Order: sequence, then structure tokens, then C-alpha cells
Amino acid sequence: MSAPNSPMRPTGATRAVSPAQQLVDLVLNSHDPGYREAADRRQAAGGVLRWYDHPATAVGSLLIGFVLIVAYIHTNRAAPAAAKTHDSLVQRVHSAQDTADRLAARIAELNAQVNTVRGAGIGTGTLADRLAAAQLAAGQTAVTGPGLEVHLADPPVPKPGQDEDREGTTPIGATHLLTDADVRSVVNQLWADGAQAVSVNDIRITSTTSIRFAGEVVLVDFQSVTTPYVIRGIGAADELATGFAASAVAARYQTQSSALGIEFSFTERQKLTMPAGAPVSLRYAKGTTK
Amino acid sequence: MIAALALVAGVVAGLILRPTVPGALEPYLPIAVVAALDAVFGGVRARLDGIFDSKVFVVSFISNVIVAALIVFLGDKLGVGAQLSTAVVVVLGIRIFSNAAAIRRHLFRA
Repeated sequence: MSAPNSPMRPTGATRAVSPAQQLVDLVLNSHDPGYREAADRRQAAGGVLRWYDHPATAVGSLLIGFVLIVAYIHTNRAAPAAAKTHDSLVQRVHSAQDTADRLAARIAELNAQVNTVRGAGIGTGTLADRLAAAQLAAGQTAVTGPGLEVHLADPPVPKPGQDEDREGTTPIGATHLLTDADVRSVVNQLWADGAQAVSVNDIRITSTTSIRFAGEVVLVDFQSVTTPYVIRGIGAADELATGFAASAVAARYQTQSSALGIEFSFTERQKLTMPAGAPVSLRYAKGTTK
Repeated sequence: MIAALALVAGVVAGLILRPTVPGALEPYLPIAVVAALDAVFGGVRARLDGIFDSKVFVVSFISNVIVAALIVFLGDKLGVGAQLSTAVVVVLGIRIFSNAAAIRRHLFRA
């Protein structure tokens, strides 16, 4: 079987080969000439098996198998490590969220206590009524009532197979269209249409609640909210719906929902419930009258 | 036969021991892998050619690994380690491929 290789045997030192030819030989003639020479030598020696033949083959194969599996393990060990880091980050975020929820619940509990104690102190009367009204207006109490619910969501992320492109090839800008400005404009429109209480994904909006954007995530009152955004406004449902439907904001999202694929809808609700907002602490504004 | 059994034994040993590759040796792992594959395919081809030799098999594997590692080590010191590593992988990869082609010719006569 050596015939096909003979023109390329680099052992023939007498033949003048150009460097280019040598390169071609190196690439094309993969056959290790060592095997051929060793076979020739052994032929000359009588072709007997030497004592180390089997052990050497075994050891060599063992080594090769070991190297290959070590590389395999090494490659696949890195992947779980990345997943582990991801999981631990997710866990930390979740535990931080749990802590935040627990603290929020504690705030609500303490606020209820404060209200009870204050109620007992003030008693019933105009003062108590005025306080209750002020708290209601400032968004410090959970409220319920009829209103309008606006549903705003990013277009769905294409699944692999559904599209020609693989998942991950769609730029984030193509599916994450909504920003804080969109949420804010809907919230402001609801206020403008006469809503008396507004919430975004069950986070109550008060006069000092911020709606910001950080790292592709909308932050409402420094809590991250993700698509779909459900923005609720309590008020006269009919007026809210009419005013909102006629607004430039609604027109804009109607257009975007047909052009860019975002989800946009609004419905009147007979009963909406919202939690109390975070306590308002004014740090700069001071009252001018007592 | 012995070679195949030993190969499996090596795989099992690796799975049981699960050794960690020291950081210093990590860049040489791909080279060791292609050198190992080259030795396997070269050995199988020589076996089919009827000229297999255990000494050549072991020595060629070990020397390939060492020489390739030395080249890459030198390249690392001179700042072209990644490129030389690619070069080694390409050269050995071509050898693997043409050895595989020779094996295919042997087995299927095509």
C-alpha cells in the first residue's frame, strides 16, 4: 500500500525538492515516514514482535485517551461554572427582592400601627377626616375603585426556528423598544385625564415616585419592572377611557403596535386595587405656613 | 485491540480521577488534544497499512506534544503564542484530516 505515497516520500534525499514542494508534501503527505522506516527495519530484523510492543501501544493509547477525556472534562467544567455564577447572581437578586418585600410589608404594618395609634390620639372628627383625606390624596393608603387599565408590552422575542435567524441574533433594540419614557407618558396621560391614583405593575405612583431607565430596565420607585407594563389609573372610568383614547399618547402607541409589534391595549375596569405608595419624605421642600 | 482497550481505560481513568488542568498548562491543552488525535489517526492508518510500530506510535505522540508545546511556549514568550498555537493546530489538523481520508480509502476503497 505504499505505492500511492512514493512520489512524496521525503526520505529520498537525493531528489531535489523545492521548498514549495516540501510545503505541499508536508500538507499532503500526512503519512509519518517513521512508520515506514520502522517497518522496513523490522522486516530486515526478521519481523518478530519485540517485548515492549504491546505494553508501549497500550501505554500510548492510555495516555491519548486520558488527554482527550481531560480536555473534554476541562471544557465542560467551565460551562457549569458560568451557569453557577449566573444562578448565584439570580439567587442574590431574588433574596434582595425578598428582603425588599419583607421590609415593604413591615412598613405597611408599622404604618397601620401608626394610623391606629394616631386615630386613637386624634379620635374622630374633622382633624381625623382631614388627615385621612390628605393621606388618600398623597397615595399613602391602599385604594380601590373603578378606572382604566393600560397594557403595554414589548414585542415577543422570536423563538429559534420561527425565524430564519437564530435566537440571539436579533438585536436587543429590536425587541426591547419600550423605555421609561413610554411608561412615563402613559402615567402622565392618565393623570392628565383625571386619574386620582395610578400604579405601574402594582407599584403605586405618588407625587415623588420616579420612573427611570437603567441598563435596559425600567425602574419605578427604584424597583425594576419588566414588560408587560400594566398601568392602572383609578378615576371615572368613562372619562378616563374617552380622554385616553383621544390622546396623542394612545395614538402613538396604536401606530407603534401596528408598525413595530408592541402590544398596546386599554380597558375600563369596574374595580381596581392599588397598594399604598412609599412614604413621601420631602428633603428640600419646606412648608411656608404652619 | 489492546490499543482500543487501553484507550477506553484511559478515558475511564480520566473520568474517575477528573484531574484539574493547572492554569499554566491550560494553553497547551488544545495542542495536546490535536497531537493525541493525530497520533490516533496516524496509528490507525499505519495499522491498516500493516506497518504499525509501537515505538513510532508512542514516540511520535510524545514528541509531537513536546515539540508543539515548546513552539507555543516560545511563542508565548515572544508574544505570538496564540498565533503559533493556531499554526500547530492547523498543521496537525491537516494531518488528521488526510490520515482520516487514507483510513477511509482503506476501509471503503473509495
